[in-house]
Amino acid sequence: MDFLEKHELYACLQCGKCTGGCPVSLRAPLNIRSLMREVLMGGSPEVALDCPGLWDCTTCATCTLRCPRGLKPSEVIVGLRGELVEQGNVPKTVIDALEGTFKHGNPWGKPRQKRTEWKGDTAVKVLPEEGEAEWLYFIGCAASYDPRLQRIPRILCRVLETAGVSFGILGTKESCCGNEIRRMGETGLFEELREENTKNFKASGAKAIITMSPHCFNTFSTEYELEGFKVLHYTQLLADLIKEGKITFSKEVNKKVVYHDPCFLGKQHEVFDPPREILKAIPGLELLEFDRSRERSLCCEGGGGRMWAEGSGEGERNSEIRVKDAHAMGAEIIATACPFCLLTLEDGAKTTGLEEQVLVREVLELVAEAMGFDDV
Amino acid sequence: MAEILVLMEHRQGEMQDINLEMLAKGQQLAEQTKKELTAVLLGKGVASMADEIKRYCHHTLVMEDDLLANFNSEPYQDVLSFLLKERKPSLVLMGHTAFGMDLAPPLATATETPLATDCYEIEVKGDTIIPYRQMYAGKMCAEVHFKEAPCHMITVRAGSFPAEGLKEINGAVEQVSFQFDKDYAYKKFLQYVEAAVGDVDITQADVLVAVGRGIGDPENLPMVEELAKLLGGVVACSRPVSDKNWLPKERQVGTSGKTVKPKLYIALGISGAFQHIAGMKNAATIIAVNKDAKAPIFSVAHYGIVDDLLKVVPGIVAKVRERKGA
Amino acid sequence: MDIIVCIKRVPEVAEIDLQVDQTGKGIQEEGLVFAVNDWDNYAVEEAVRMKEKHGGKVTAITVGSEESEDVVRRALALGADEAVVVTDPQAEGSDAYAIAKILAAAIKDIPYDIILTGALADDDGCAQVGATLAELLGIPHATLVTAIEIEEKQVKVKRELEGGLEEELVVATPALFTIQSGINEPRYVSIMGIRKVAKIEVATRDLGALGLSPDQVGSAGSFITVEKIFPPPAGEGAQILEGSPDEVATKMMDIFQKGGVV
Repeated sequence: MDFLEKHELYACLQCGKCTGGCPVSLRAPLNIRSLMREVLMGGSPEVALDCPGLWDCTTCATCTLRCPRGLKPSEVIVGLRGELVEQGNVPKTVIDALEGTFKHGNPWGKPRQKRTEWKGDTAVKVLPEEGEAEWLYFIGCAASYDPRLQRIPRILCRVLETAGVSFGILGTKESCCGNEIRRMGETGLFEELREENTKNFKASGAKAIITMSPHCFNTFSTEYELEGFKVLHYTQLLADLIKEGKITFSKEVNKKVVYHDPCFLGKQHEVFDPPREILKAIPGLELLEFDRSRERSLCCEGGGGRMWAEGSGEGERNSEIRVKDAHAMGAEIIATACPFCLLTLEDGAKTTGLEEQVLVREVLELVAEAMGFDDV
Repeated sequence: MAEILVLMEHRQGEMQDINLEMLAKGQQLAEQTKKELTAVLLGKGVASMADEIKRYCHHTLVMEDDLLANFNSEPYQDVLSFLLKERKPSLVLMGHTAFGMDLAPPLATATETPLATDCYEIEVKGDTIIPYRQMYAGKMCAEVHFKEAPCHMITVRAGSFPAEGLKEINGAVEQVSFQFDKDYAYKKFLQYVEAAVGDVDITQADVLVAVGRGIGDPENLPMVEELAKLLGGVVACSRPVSDKNWLPKERQVGTSGKTVKPKLYIALGISGAFQHIAGMKNAATIIAVNKDAKAPIFSVAHYGIVDDLLKVVPGIVAKVRERKGA
Repeated sequence: MDIIVCIKRVPEVAEIDLQVDQTGKGIQEEGLVFAVNDWDNYAVEEAVRMKEKHGGKVTAITVGSEESEDVVRRALALGADEAVVVTDPQAEGSDAYAIAKILAAAIKDIPYDIILTGALADDDGCAQVGATLAELLGIPHATLVTAIEIEEKQVKVKRELEGGLEEELVVATPALFTIQSGINEPRYVSIMGIRKVAKIEVATRDLGALGLSPDQVGSAGSFITVEKIFPPPAGEGAQILEGSPDEVATKMMDIFQKGGVV
């Protein structure tokens, strides 16, 4: 099946809803509607490979979700990136991320030996070597290695323990989920990661997987074949645990908090309510809403490999717009449930000079505060 | 003979700093092994350099020839092979530099002189010379043993031996009697090429002075640029700075910018976000200046200053300016 | 334009806490990730680009353990045409000089116009094999090459000197160049690309096949042996420089001078 057939380009009616909803199209030289037509008219993906905006795409999938014909423009971009990958012609930072993942199991190329350094004193079982458990907590590369994020898996472990959930981790066997890898066009590497992780999931003895990152959640749910496994994002499990009374909040968090829906959790999987339920359950917390919330949430520009590809767009980043909007509505905290959103929004707070007025927090960090976990 | 031979390095009429470093160490080794110190100076129009060098050596061997005007490993190798055979030194030192990397290996091979490269220390144990070198990007040091031979060769890492305490020996300057019988058409020096002004590739710089949010305002940049220039380096930055267009994106260091491996990385007002550190953690020496004692940059830096860069940098610039006599 | 590229499989040590092994002469290799030496990667890319421009054949060759086949396979995926692995337990302990002797023996039967090696290797950092090999083969060389321009019967190269300065040379072929990083931007080698070349046969040679005797290689055939390795004296995170801005500036000057920067 050739590229045009695979992506059903003949069916595109050039309505422009894709470009119209694209969160980077205003700033980046990326016009997906136009690209679809170029490839169709050119008869091959080759003609579109020098488009400078190809690496700006965040794979938020707004275009795919809105296409009236059910086409997948974001997959066309992934396909074009795939062509570039096979030619070896990709940005240096992408090469580093892909090679780092191949060699060390994470796009930051950090040593596998150090993947569990986030643990500190936290006692948590490695499955299957150290026992059995019902849930497998998949940490993800960002939280494993980034010092800003390493506290968050420690918090989740404490929360799950408090709630009496039986869980364990893969430890240093854990490799990148591959969500971003596939979206950067390296299908071969994605397949290898999928195979290795699936093997480890099956051997772990667990029956359910909980992820911290919506990116991991996305690929495990839709791109891995994990029959017999339940896959949840942590907000879904936590919301249930709160309803069941297994988690209670003893401290107040008297803050105005606006929740930012991550694309890979919100618009792509319609998991809008669980994070909100958690926040609403925190005493003293006033939950605000962005105008662009839920399905219309403004992509932070952290996905689709953008953590490793600078993007060629000029002008104000979406993360800056988001932070300014939060500030304008009187929010003191932007809460989110995705490590990439967290990092990019924090960057936005820094560059707009609002980092002291608008804090960016993972939902779990607020949960920790409400549960009095001061020492995590 | 009972001598240590040290090859002097020069370019475009100027002696390289490593010469005095090698002579200082050479003097020490000569004393320890009870040998004489002999410098070798090959070139064209190098008489005044010879006058400077002879102060520190028992012998200064000079050869002037058009073929030696600019460094070329081929004629240099032939003169030195001749000298090694004639004078039978016990030890030959040269810099582990662009010069030494081109010359030492083929010279050592042609004369079957065991060679240890890029050494940061040379010890003498009885009659034996023990070189030390680093391995694994500086993560390990190695004590190296030479194969037994009447002569050994070592290329010396720049900056390893202080150019201090040099004794005035004032030996004679002698001309080397060697005749070239080739024209070396198969390897010819054409010209020097200066670094292009304007296209800055921070990945190629030996010294980077990087700024982060702590710089506060673009009008503080000129001071940083001066520091970089004085140190022979280039200004780089973390993301917030390039985001604001205070510096072009090509200067950005980090996972979505460039990965750099300079000899010296000075991080000014950079907190050391993980994504930035990933782009510079392999720099040989990292100095960080940040108001926040807990800034993560201090965990990768070798040296740190906990203070406002705006307070600290002007003093550093003044000192470097003074030293350079600028 | 037939090109031979000499490459090496080395451990990746960035951010790893290296441990000295039981012999005291090497590092513990368990858990380390091995890959092609960074400089050699630039050399392979340069070789393939020259082939794409001028035609000819690229042969990748390595001396090492059996696992070294990985790096030449990757070179094939990048665009090399043939691959040779020289592996023999008796070659262990070979220093740069001994390795160059092995390469010279392996290369004598392969026609070439240009040989490329990396300027140095990530593990021992000797920067010695290339120029030694050139001497053994009796061909001219240039080290730290940052640009190669093929002309009629000669090659114009740029060499990296210190402080941003470069020099231009003209060298007659056959010749050997050691490649400095940054000469090009190596292309990405994808997993599917590596799968595609899985069927290409990699030639293996041992010392016997090359006509080398054990005393020419290993420690016996080397100029140097590592007697002992040890970690550099420990620092504890950043050494904080204290004092007034003036005192601090003086301390910084010391560091600059020690580093040869000033």
